[in-house]
Amino acid sequence: MALAEPYVAPALRGRFGRTRRRTRWSSVSHVDQIAIGALVAVTLLAVVTPWIAPHSATRPAGTSLVHPFHGFVFGTDEVGRDVFSRVLYGLRTSWLAALLVIASGVLIGGLIGLVAGAAGGWIDNVLMRITDAFLSLPGPILAIAVVAALGPSLSHTLIAVMIVWWPFYARIVRGEVRALAARPHLEAARLAGVGRVRLAVRHLLPGAIPATVVTASLDVGNLVLTLAALSFLGLGAPAPAPELGAMAARGLPYLLEQWWVPVMPGLGVLFLALVSNLAGDGLRDLIGDR
Amino acid sequence: MTQFVLKRLAAMVAVLLVLAATVFVLQRLTPTDPVHAMLGGNASKAMIAAEKHKLGYDKPMVAQYVDYIGGLLHGDLQMSLRTRRPVATDLGQYLPATLELTLFALVVAVVLGGLMGIATAARFRGSGVLRVVLLSAASAPSFLLAVLGILLFYRKLGWLPATGRSSVANVPTGPTGLLTVDGLLHGRLDVVTDAFKHLVLPGLCVGIGPAMSIGRVLRSSLVNTMRTDYVRTARAKGQRESVVLLRHAVRNSLGPALSMTGLQVGLMFAGVVVIEQVFAWPGIGLYTIQSIPRTDFPAIAGVTLVLGAGYVIVNAVIDVLQAAADPRIAL
Repeated sequence: MALAEPYVAPALRGRFGRTRRRTRWSSVSHVDQIAIGALVAVTLLAVVTPWIAPHSATRPAGTSLVHPFHGFVFGTDEVGRDVFSRVLYGLRTSWLAALLVIASGVLIGGLIGLVAGAAGGWIDNVLMRITDAFLSLPGPILAIAVVAALGPSLSHTLIAVMIVWWPFYARIVRGEVRALAARPHLEAARLAGVGRVRLAVRHLLPGAIPATVVTASLDVGNLVLTLAALSFLGLGAPAPAPELGAMAARGLPYLLEQWWVPVMPGLGVLFLALVSNLAGDGLRDLIGDR
Repeated sequence: MTQFVLKRLAAMVAVLLVLAATVFVLQRLTPTDPVHAMLGGNASKAMIAAEKHKLGYDKPMVAQYVDYIGGLLHGDLQMSLRTRRPVATDLGQYLPATLELTLFALVVAVVLGGLMGIATAARFRGSGVLRVVLLSAASAPSFLLAVLGILLFYRKLGWLPATGRSSVANVPTGPTGLLTVDGLLHGRLDVVTDAFKHLVLPGLCVGIGPAMSIGRVLRSSLVNTMRTDYVRTARAKGQRESVVLLRHAVRNSLGPALSMTGLQVGLMFAGVVVIEQVFAWPGIGLYTIQSIPRTDFPAIAGVTLVLGAGYVIVNAVIDVLQAAADPRIAL
């Protein structure tokens, strides 16, 4: 049975379609352009950190508690480690961790949302009730409980955050898929004999991508902050590891006299979250319509 | 309306059961065996088996869960492995401090968010700069705000204290446990002002992030309302723009901001845990932090249950309030 697949309406081809308004780089504000550029730069930086960091992140590089700009840009901490190098490594950990969690959230949530939206009926009902239940619980608090149960470590923290981060995406993908499923061309595809799986993957999933990408890009900033807070609470990698939240927490006793020890890692988190928030706004304008 | 309230209550109970189930499962996942932890390393096999039987750990999982829920309904949150006291007693001691801080932060978030949403809904020169400033405030981790606040207002200016809830020697032990309220009830104005000074910095640090989120939602909702026909009519009547905005538009735009406030309460609980550590605030957060390294899971389970239940109940109440304000929601 070799029926040709029905023509996919142009609107569904997303941003690659010909009829769709071309989104132009110049239509995005300068601030957002800079932010998107900075985001790309941060990603590159995170990858090459081990080669560009001036000093080791875990071994002393000089005398302890040197003021910033006295040989060390961000000064040194209580055991003489270079704060700048540690912040660089911390940015790398935070950023890669945030990307990993977002990716898993989109994957798990997307899969559940797609199955629920494409299947409909009782499957949809059950999956969405579970999603709703998770959505109505406070994510960060639940994450703390999960890490506390498994024992503090970076991988456990990531698992914990992944567990609380998917429901949002399930909801979005499911909503998009349900809206698409009611459209005539989907009915045409079904009549043409397109199988369930192919229908879901080829005809429903692409329609959910723009909304998901926009949501995810606006979400990274929140995630960076949540991960930093958990790390601050001691729910991350153990002691010498350079994590921004944990560095700030351990630097607290030095706050009044050697302010740079806790402040610099905090500024690192601020930088990362701000860049992702601005870039998220920019991507929303770039991808359009929402 | 009654039907909506009943439905919402049923959903709330279901979510609370899921919360309890989650904590219950996590408890079984903990590497520390509570029976071993209680009896110590020298306990004989027979003693452990007897204790397990006494605590009901040899029953099927479902029966254990039912027992667990029954215990929760009687206020039994099990024993803390660290303090060797019932978790419920510990929480009762630490809860008022956290409650006072959270309530204060909530007021900060709502007032600041409201002002910000209304101020930015109007377009004016420099609103682009304002956007970056506000986004920076929303992107700052709460511990950075706390640290900078301490450096500025405590170290540099000496205006505000940096640690604890109170520096008055004999604080009234009053009915509520909230120092500001108890101070007022006992007519001790010195306690009230002192407690307030201690609240300002941590409250701001917890409240600023949520305030930004509330403000952003209120702003976009306001911008939409300002495009509606009835607003055009109000303008056509010759009313001043400020009157149109404040008297006609704000009320109809509050819905999304209100649900955002409910969602932010969850983030604020997490923020409180962090901020309590910075300011040595003797609340639930500090209790959590001290419990984590000792793998005192019953304590953390108690905190999760109390904060989680608080969050679920607050959001249910907000939903009902919204339906009362806008009957279309209940349909």
